[in-house]
Amino acid sequence: MMNDDLDARSWVVWVAAAVITALAAHNPFYTLIVLAAAGAVGVVCARPDMGLPLPLARIGLVILFFTTLFNALMVHVGATVLFRLPGNWLWIGGPVTVEAAVVGAGNGLVLFTLLVVFTTMNRVVSTGELVRLAPRALRDLAVVVLIAITYVPETMNQLRRIREAQAIRGHRVRGLRDWRPVLIPLLIGGLERAMGVAEAMVARGYGSTADSRQPLATQLVLLLGLLAAFAGWVISFWVGWPGWMLMGGGVVIILLLLWQLGRQTPFTRYRPRPMTKWHVGLMGTAVFPLLLIFLPLPFVDKTTFNYSPYPQLTIPGFDLLTGFSMLLLSYPALAGWFNGNESQLAPTAAPQVKSDDND
Amino acid sequence: MRQGVTAVIYTVSAVIGVAAFAYPFVLPQTAVARTTAHAVDAPLLTLFLIVISLAVLLVEVQGQAVSAKVVAALGVLVAVTAVLRFLDTLFPIPGGFTPIFAPIILAGYVFGARFGFLLGTMALLASALITGNVGPWLPYQMFTAGWVGMTAGWLPHPRRPRRQIILLVCFGFAWGLLFGAIMNLYFWPFVSDGTAASWQPGSGLRDGIGRYAAFYLVTSLVWDVGRGVGNVALILVLGMPTVRALARFRDRFQFVKTE
Repeated sequence: MMNDDLDARSWVVWVAAAVITALAAHNPFYTLIVLAAAGAVGVVCARPDMGLPLPLARIGLVILFFTTLFNALMVHVGATVLFRLPGNWLWIGGPVTVEAAVVGAGNGLVLFTLLVVFTTMNRVVSTGELVRLAPRALRDLAVVVLIAITYVPETMNQLRRIREAQAIRGHRVRGLRDWRPVLIPLLIGGLERAMGVAEAMVARGYGSTADSRQPLATQLVLLLGLLAAFAGWVISFWVGWPGWMLMGGGVVIILLLLWQLGRQTPFTRYRPRPMTKWHVGLMGTAVFPLLLIFLPLPFVDKTTFNYSPYPQLTIPGFDLLTGFSMLLLSYPALAGWFNGNESQLAPTAAPQVKSDDND
Repeated sequence: MRQGVTAVIYTVSAVIGVAAFAYPFVLPQTAVARTTAHAVDAPLLTLFLIVISLAVLLVEVQGQAVSAKVVAALGVLVAVTAVLRFLDTLFPIPGGFTPIFAPIILAGYVFGARFGFLLGTMALLASALITGNVGPWLPYQMFTAGWVGMTAGWLPHPRRPRRQIILLVCFGFAWGLLFGAIMNLYFWPFVSDGTAASWQPGSGLRDGIGRYAAFYLVTSLVWDVGRGVGNVALILVLGMPTVRALARFRDRFQFVKTE
């Protein structure tokens, strides 16, 4: 599967939609659907070289165990009492109820679902694609990240070489102090390489050899956008929409400035990433459940979004249309599975150079 | 004039960062009705605000630090820090111990607040990309790690090495606890479940701090002490040789100011 050809922006939309859905629909049935969808996408769409970076099942069990235990011990509300702890025990003294345990497990399930969603994105979208999402206005910092990512394997190799060299001299790493003859040469070697990299960059015409500053106008617009966003955020706690509008205005100002700064940066794409129908489908299906959750639609049972087992444990409600809409988050997995040919997921574009130089 | 505007941008960003972490404590009663009606809005809007603020701060800091030497030095130091985090992921040590803060503190101490801030934010970003830890926690981690590096740059530089190391050790231990205490705040409002240790919108500053203290004591203190002790051990063992090596390269890199 040519995941390097994926459009990372559409996956960012998918992740955002899955996260907001998991947080907004407080109902274990809906959370389980999002979890299952994210898990299926991770299994079907993960890059072939990308295994699970974390032992997810074990982590999930730990999260569920601790959130359930924490809530059961700290909340003494609910009709179904399991047992009682002595009342003079600070914070945890009192009745331990099934309802409190269920709420804790529900919170743990949401946390685990978020973890699975982000793990899926990390398995599907390559590091290079994620770095390319950086705004062009932050070009220098994107270069920093790219240098770092490029040098990580070299740094690992250097670490291994230093350890081998020290081992030949009879040095053994037993305690923390024994790491000093390994890590200090690693640091010095890295900084020596940085000198070489800097000289090579200057020789190839990168930037300047001295620091420079943003123009005053740019700074003032940044400050204006930042102040508007902050003021809007504060106001939103009292009056809602006007605050959101002000915050949105500030964000738009900053985004426009970033776009303008980015236009001043020469940019060359070696492999263009076209936005295909598949990517549009991915974003459309991901956003669909959010529409049902947030739009005032009379045919959606919104009471199912706020399940609470207090005071007596009940079975959570379930709205069929909402459940189906959340199932659409598994669209990438279903598309890949039905097509049988994963290349459908990632239309391969022939490498071609496209220059967006603006100057 | 431009220096003044830069100072104001830094100040506003710092205020936004503090407000984004501390709003659960200071949300007044009049705002409670709205916040409880939109329980998810406040944390999501705050996440959005912190991302925007971080972007502005990075654009501003980047605008002052574009020399190839700074970029290369940052890149290589970020790589070293990312490797340490990668090793930490592969061979996890019990407790909150992580080796990534010592280089951020030491580099910030030697190269200054601006470099320390950039190293903190970039190191967390790059290591998250490498270890697959990209998530909603990342902007908060970047902001907080940036503060670690930035405040390290503000530390005084006593002449005697012994005093330097004592200063850095205390600083490392304090940030070991502070990092956890600050980072907890980003998700604390999400676990508003009615316990004595959970967020209660509009509960007031004193009650809010009490609730958070209970939450922190139960869930994080032991973990964070592990991180603080780890920082102390690393700085004690590696601190002075690292500071000497970085100081030597600081002179070679010649971080010039054009003002």
